[in-house]
Amino acid sequence: MLEAKPATDLAARISDGTKIYGEGDTEVRALDGVSEAFEKGRYTAIMGPSGSGKSTLLHCIAGLDELTSGQVYIGDTDLGSLNDKNLTLLRRKKVGFVFQSFNLVPTLSAKENILLPLLIAGDKEDNAWFDQVVGILGLGDRLSHRPSELSGGQQQRVAAARALVSRPDIIFADEPSGNLDSKSAAELLDFMRRAVREFGQTIVMVTHDPVAASYADRIVFLEDGRIAGEMHDPTSEMVIDRMKQFGG
Amino acid sequence: MIRTALKTIFAHKLRLFLTALSVMIGVAFIAGTFIFTDTINQTFTDLFDDQFAGQDVIVQAEAEFDVGFGGPPPVEESVLDTVLGVQGVAAAEGSAGGFALIYDSNGEAIVPTGPPTIGASWTEDERLIGNIALRDGRAPTGPTEVVIDAKTAGDNGLAIGTAVKVQTVDGVAEYELVGIVGFGDADNIAGATVAVFDLETAQALFGLEGMYSAITVVADEGVSPELLRNNIALALPEGVEAVASADEAEAQAEALQESLGFLNTALLVFAAVAVFVAAFIIQNTFRIIVRQRQRELALMRAVGATGGQVVWMVAIEALIVGIFASVVGIALGFVIAGLLTAGMAAVGFDIPSTSASLAPRTIVVGLIVGVGVTLVAAILPAIRAARIPPVAALQDVDVRLRMSDRRRTIFGSILLVIGVGLIMAGLFGDVIDLGPLNELTAVGIGALIVFLAVSLLSSLVVPSLARIIGWPLPKIDNLTGTLAIANAVRKPRRTATTASALMIGLALVAFFFILGDSIKASVSESIEAGLRADYVVSVDGFAGGFSPALAEDLKGQEEVEATTSLRMGFWDNNGTEDFVMGIEAETVDQTIFLDVQSGSVAALAAGGVFVHEDVASEEGWVVGDTILMGFAATGLQEVEIVGIYGEQNVVQTNFLVGLEFYEANFSGFGTDTDFVVAVAGADGVSPEETRAVVDEAAAEYGNVTVRDQVEYRESQEAQVDTLLVMFNALLILAVIIALFGIMNTLSLSIYERTREIGLLRAVGMTRSQTRRMIRWESIMVAVIGAILGIVVGLFFGVVVTAALKSQGINVLSIPAVQIFGLVIFGVVAGLLAAIVPARRAANLNILEAISYE
Repeated sequence: MLEAKPATDLAARISDGTKIYGEGDTEVRALDGVSEAFEKGRYTAIMGPSGSGKSTLLHCIAGLDELTSGQVYIGDTDLGSLNDKNLTLLRRKKVGFVFQSFNLVPTLSAKENILLPLLIAGDKEDNAWFDQVVGILGLGDRLSHRPSELSGGQQQRVAAARALVSRPDIIFADEPSGNLDSKSAAELLDFMRRAVREFGQTIVMVTHDPVAASYADRIVFLEDGRIAGEMHDPTSEMVIDRMKQFGG
Repeated sequence: MIRTALKTIFAHKLRLFLTALSVMIGVAFIAGTFIFTDTINQTFTDLFDDQFAGQDVIVQAEAEFDVGFGGPPPVEESVLDTVLGVQGVAAAEGSAGGFALIYDSNGEAIVPTGPPTIGASWTEDERLIGNIALRDGRAPTGPTEVVIDAKTAGDNGLAIGTAVKVQTVDGVAEYELVGIVGFGDADNIAGATVAVFDLETAQALFGLEGMYSAITVVADEGVSPELLRNNIALALPEGVEAVASADEAEAQAEALQESLGFLNTALLVFAAVAVFVAAFIIQNTFRIIVRQRQRELALMRAVGATGGQVVWMVAIEALIVGIFASVVGIALGFVIAGLLTAGMAAVGFDIPSTSASLAPRTIVVGLIVGVGVTLVAAILPAIRAARIPPVAALQDVDVRLRMSDRRRTIFGSILLVIGVGLIMAGLFGDVIDLGPLNELTAVGIGALIVFLAVSLLSSLVVPSLARIIGWPLPKIDNLTGTLAIANAVRKPRRTATTASALMIGLALVAFFFILGDSIKASVSESIEAGLRADYVVSVDGFAGGFSPALAEDLKGQEEVEATTSLRMGFWDNNGTEDFVMGIEAETVDQTIFLDVQSGSVAALAAGGVFVHEDVASEEGWVVGDTILMGFAATGLQEVEIVGIYGEQNVVQTNFLVGLEFYEANFSGFGTDTDFVVAVAGADGVSPEETRAVVDEAAAEYGNVTVRDQVEYRESQEAQVDTLLVMFNALLILAVIIALFGIMNTLSLSIYERTREIGLLRAVGMTRSQTRRMIRWESIMVAVIGAILGIVVGLFFGVVVTAALKSQGINVLSIPAVQIFGLVIFGVVAGLLAAIVPARRAANLNILEAISYE
């Protein structure tokens, strides 16, 4: 069982996490007693139909939202014990983000956007690592461009580079390829998988796209705020079959 | 449409409030000015009505022209017999009025700041006495008795039976206080102190032996004042007129209102500046709002709303904001009026307190200005909104709805040329015929156009300016500094307009700094050159002067070599009021260096006028020419120019006459007392000894201050400083409005950048970093405004100072420290304006922000 593993091998975990929106008649249980763990160096996809709570789960683990009850750990740190400032510092140092859209600050160049977490922290960049990341993503000749001068695919790759450059303990991606054409999406997803394989990066990705999910090492299925199973080394066909069970 | 507009307004209550606030303050300023001056006017109208109550006709010498200073000359006593002989006259009595300063029981002069110190004669006949009534004691009889007003008596503990010192033109003497009077329900007349003597004593004390200041008449029952006036007029000798007392009350009230008209105009000018700044803010706000609602408006177009309807929707929103702001603004006007009253009191001008008057005109003007400005400012953005193509709603594209940079540059440059041209024409203006515009109006309108031009053009320099101002920021505060600069320049026009609103107020402050400093430097310099006297005795307070007896006292002292008395008066210079200084020509060479260019001081003593060289050269006058001078007491006089002089800041006028000539042509309140006496110490006497003598003589009069040359210079500089403080205090409202503008623009910009701020927070920007980012941006906008303001203010200051060269402002002095202080002020202002927006940005919910559409 996952729970039996030593905590040090886990990048993040959630224990009996419940998230309730609203009160009384309008109460919605977005998460209902979810326990899950994310191992280091693994690429996990979270899937589920609309309203299953997958985005809420991601937000809660990433420290962007608070659980109504239960605990979330990034590494050994209990997020519930942190005030806003420490939570922010934790996101800055230990967490990377790739959102579906609007990932970049429009007034900063691609390079500045990539270095954003380091700039915010006032930290020195690791030049070799930066060059390596930029090289793999093919952004070398785009570094001085503003986001508005980049294609959608390039913008998402800049976002991915940003998530990677501070070597966070874990990267959260929320439908990262959702707005991209299939070619750009494939490039991005392939890069994310390489980041896990080659650099030992940990990635948790929410998606509803079976093709995107097939890049992951493991898929966690969510339904009505509860874990509804998991799948290892998926292919898109397997995912599509599994998804058919939902909502039926 | 109305319902949609209403819904939009209530959905953004804070935005509504901030937008309305700028209009509110502007309208409050206007309404406050009106309430303030209306209240003063009402006070004095009531006062004059009361004063003439019960009297029907006043007989007095004809005044050639009416000014607040001085009045008609006295009439011969014999005129009273003539009047008494007219049919229909029930009673008539002569009166004598003049300057009378009362002292408290410690011998300190009671100097009201503003209102006059009135001396009067007791009216025997009950029917003629008006609303003046004994509260206690009895009427004065004989040369040693006096009656004073209840307020002065009460405030200073002056009791019946005690001795009271009173200063008149005759000198200072002690009188027995035998009675205390009130005026109807009032304890005094609008703050003035009143000392009443019996008629004969009053005539002697006010220099009116055998004369009356005026004769008051009451009609027989059944005889109308008009009929009686006509009958008396027929009987009067030439040069004496009869006026219905109701007309006289009105005329006096009008004359006073006219003299207060300057105050009213000055305040309204400052109010106009505030409204102008408010217009900037509203226009900017509506432009941002329209831009933010572009998709929504386009969607309305897509579902069938016409362009006209979209204009209506924005206009209705503006209308509602305007009405709301105007109504609240008018109500706030009472607060402003109170502040103005308190401010006037603080600089030493007490205004008697009465209930504030709200005239219908105040409400109408407030509404028109408030609603009008809001509508006009909103209409351009509304028309732009109507041009949004419906397709914009579907495609989520940013439609460019603004002037191109090129058109903006051309338009701005044209405006700049027109504005600067108007200013130059107004200042140096004989060259161009301005038609109906007078010079001041031309300068004012020119200045407004320059402000508009600079605000249009400044968007072109905002990016470079921001980078220059912001260069240390990335070093101080790495990322937040970089982002702040980037945010300040990403919408250069928005930043330019926001900064321009602050520019206007600060440009005027900088202008006043430069003008004030130049005046001080010029005055100092020329006093140093022009003042030979060792000591200057000048009157305290604004009204009246002091008894000529003081100069006489000094002349008798052996420590004093010479004294020169100066008196100031108005004369009619071909239709405009001008100052003239009556000066003791016999001694002036010993006390003041007049810098005589031609003619001689001896001729001045024998009659004739000295003209300042600038006026003389402007008019082409030379010694020997004759000019026409109109005096209130004696009418038009042909006066020969007997000298041209260059001094300006000690004598303070462009026309000088000898003291005898002055006395012959001026009469009435405030013209028979000295304004300044310059004292030269005798040779071989130490300055300390002379000073001791002058101080001792002055101490007896109480309402004067003795200053040596340095102190006199400083006191003149201090007067300029007082004016500067007043002007800058009045500009504060315009600056506050501009701060609300920065606040409003920042809030709206933050609202636009919600997702971006959410992203920054998500990837690790702390709340305090977020606040800092907004603060830096705000400071940059404010400092840009301050720098633009300084540039424009420098221009205004330099050209206006140059234009005032003929008024004796020969030195251009730029107070670098004060000017730099404006940049510091900009930093502080930016910090203040950022407080609320920064907090809002820092407290954004990250999740909602990043998923914000």
